[in-house]
Amino acid sequence: MNLNICHLYPDLLDLYGDRGNILALAARCRWRGIEPVIQQASLGEDLDFMGMDILFLGGGSDREQGLLVQDLMRHEKELRKAIENGLVVLAICGGYQMLGRDYQMANGKILQFLGIIDIWTIAGEKRLIGNVVVEINGKTLVGFENHSGKTYLGEGVTPLGKVLFGNGNNGDDGEEGVRYRNVFGTYLHGPLLPKNPRLADLLLELALKRRGSDDPLTELDDSLEELAHQAMVKRLMK
Amino acid sequence: MKRTWRFWFALWAGKLITKGLLVAGKKGTTLPGKIAQWFDPEIMRHLSVAYTDGIIMITGTNGKTTTANLLASIIRQSGEKFAFNQAGANLVTGITGALIQNTRWNGYSRASLALLEVDEATVPKFCEQVTPTLAIVTNFFRDQLDRYGELDTTVRMVRASLPKETVLVLNADDPLVAQFGTDHEPVIYYGVERTPDSRSESQETREARFCPVCGTELTYTLFHYGQLGIFKCTGCGFHRLEPEILAQNVRLVEGLLLFQVGETPFTLSLQGYYNLYNALAALTAARQLKISDELIEKGLREFIPQAGRMERFYLPDGEITLTLVKNPTGFDQVIQTMLGVDKPLRILIGINDLAADGRDISWLWDVNFERLGMYEASIKQVICTGLRAEDIALRLKYAGVPVEKLVIEHTLTEALDGLQANRAVEEVAFICPTYTLLFPLRGLLESRQQNGGLSRPKAKAAGEGAHS
Repeated sequence: MNLNICHLYPDLLDLYGDRGNILALAARCRWRGIEPVIQQASLGEDLDFMGMDILFLGGGSDREQGLLVQDLMRHEKELRKAIENGLVVLAICGGYQMLGRDYQMANGKILQFLGIIDIWTIAGEKRLIGNVVVEINGKTLVGFENHSGKTYLGEGVTPLGKVLFGNGNNGDDGEEGVRYRNVFGTYLHGPLLPKNPRLADLLLELALKRRGSDDPLTELDDSLEELAHQAMVKRLMK
Repeated sequence: MKRTWRFWFALWAGKLITKGLLVAGKKGTTLPGKIAQWFDPEIMRHLSVAYTDGIIMITGTNGKTTTANLLASIIRQSGEKFAFNQAGANLVTGITGALIQNTRWNGYSRASLALLEVDEATVPKFCEQVTPTLAIVTNFFRDQLDRYGELDTTVRMVRASLPKETVLVLNADDPLVAQFGTDHEPVIYYGVERTPDSRSESQETREARFCPVCGTELTYTLFHYGQLGIFKCTGCGFHRLEPEILAQNVRLVEGLLLFQVGETPFTLSLQGYYNLYNALAALTAARQLKISDELIEKGLREFIPQAGRMERFYLPDGEITLTLVKNPTGFDQVIQTMLGVDKPLRILIGINDLAADGRDISWLWDVNFERLGMYEASIKQVICTGLRAEDIALRLKYAGVPVEKLVIEHTLTEALDGLQANRAVEEVAFICPTYTLLFPLRGLLESRQQNGGLSRPKAKAAGEGAHS
């Protein structure tokens, strides 16, 4: 069985070890006998969102993000359609912000984004940097954030989790990320999935379900993953 | 320039503290620099006027310390005295401290030439007060982003703060550096024709895929490493210029790096082709100082590597090479060098995430460890240590290094013991620590070298204290 994983703009949105997420998804597929087909797509390419199983959007520097907003807008309708259809999306940092309505810059200018999810981002004065621990349904998620944009969720929009350590979406409301259908947006940049194998497997499960397969995923030996995860939880939450 | 009472207070306070530290058996330029800055925030400006033969500034992401030390080795050959901020004390306080150390109580300088390594983020502050005669810019890579924001910002900041009068010595092969020459004069470029590792396609981390001038994707006829190579922009025509100082006939012979510039052959006792760039930068600056090629050649050849830059230790159980790792490009180069040895490998990787290491360790996922996975048959063992031992072990698992070959060991002495345990004669050992683990590990290696391989309890205590 194949699983189509699209890494969108890997050449532009490639800050902070983002490819770790793709490596984790691919490895966890392979270890289970699923063949990951990784597509790297960039500016100007035709994209078949309906044919994708998992879409990954990473974070980039401001300059490079500016370059691709235009390109992404071109795909807005199809991406929206695929997301409503259950496409699994992991969007991090800049990629996360771009799924929202807009970005309000410090000089008052407003940068229009895709508006697929009712969230918006306001330029903050200081960068929110550091380790983060988030709680999702009693389980933890660990990562690192580095963003100056502060993201707010519209009425009725579900956050991904609750911040136990760090800043999260905006440093004010104790919430982190967004969960909308099968879209996971978060500020935990870079290699989120290797150290949070439960989230990695949730993405795979949802993607397989959309394909009509209800078989549970084969168990993997995640002792090293758990060790790395717990080392940070222990250190930060003591 | 008028030196006010603030200056004298600052100078004397700085000198007193330097003396005090010496009496206490400590070396240090940071504390004296800090106190002096408090008395006179303009003290760098006031001290810098004494350097009538010139001030050479060295900045960039990688290779600053090695370049500065190579150049120092060459200048020593010429016999000229110079002020020098050794040991990477490259922030305002460290630079100030070094200049104070070189200034007498009466305000006169001991040397008229200064060789200063300046951290990228410190360049604006430094150049506000000091106009370097020569500024060497080595390269720009992603490094400790959490400290500096984004790479673009760093590059822009450095570029904007370089004074018009300063002669720039630029790496022609790095588009991020070479762009500084498009609106500056005079500029001298150094570069490399090709190394045995140069490829027409890149699989590594690259910072600048896009033209720094116009944003079009750059095309390359040759990659040396990272984004360094023979590049061209089809959009605006920005391209790699033929450097005045060009290394040709580059090759590695028995652990020595050989190359020639024009007709002159040079030898460098450093591993890793990235060190070729450091040598070229030093050579270019030395020629500007009118030092003869003969002395330059001697300075490069007799250079002894700085602490933890491919530094070799001779232990009873076998030789160990210690080398600092701090960013993806640097680590990729180290991996390339390790695999290039073509012998079974034992590796100790130490990753900390303290301020000096960079709090964010995401960069480990940008390192091409997949190469280690690809050649895992030649890897005997990787011992992982440091505050982020588990993270590096996990990274290696996903890179394809079998879990059975990975060992997590938080205690440095034990990690080092593990590296040497059951080591076969033909096996080669490397230790790759981040900054705050470098000196504890180096201390252990030095003491084992002196003690014929027996570890002393004292050394253990020192190593532990520094990393926890």
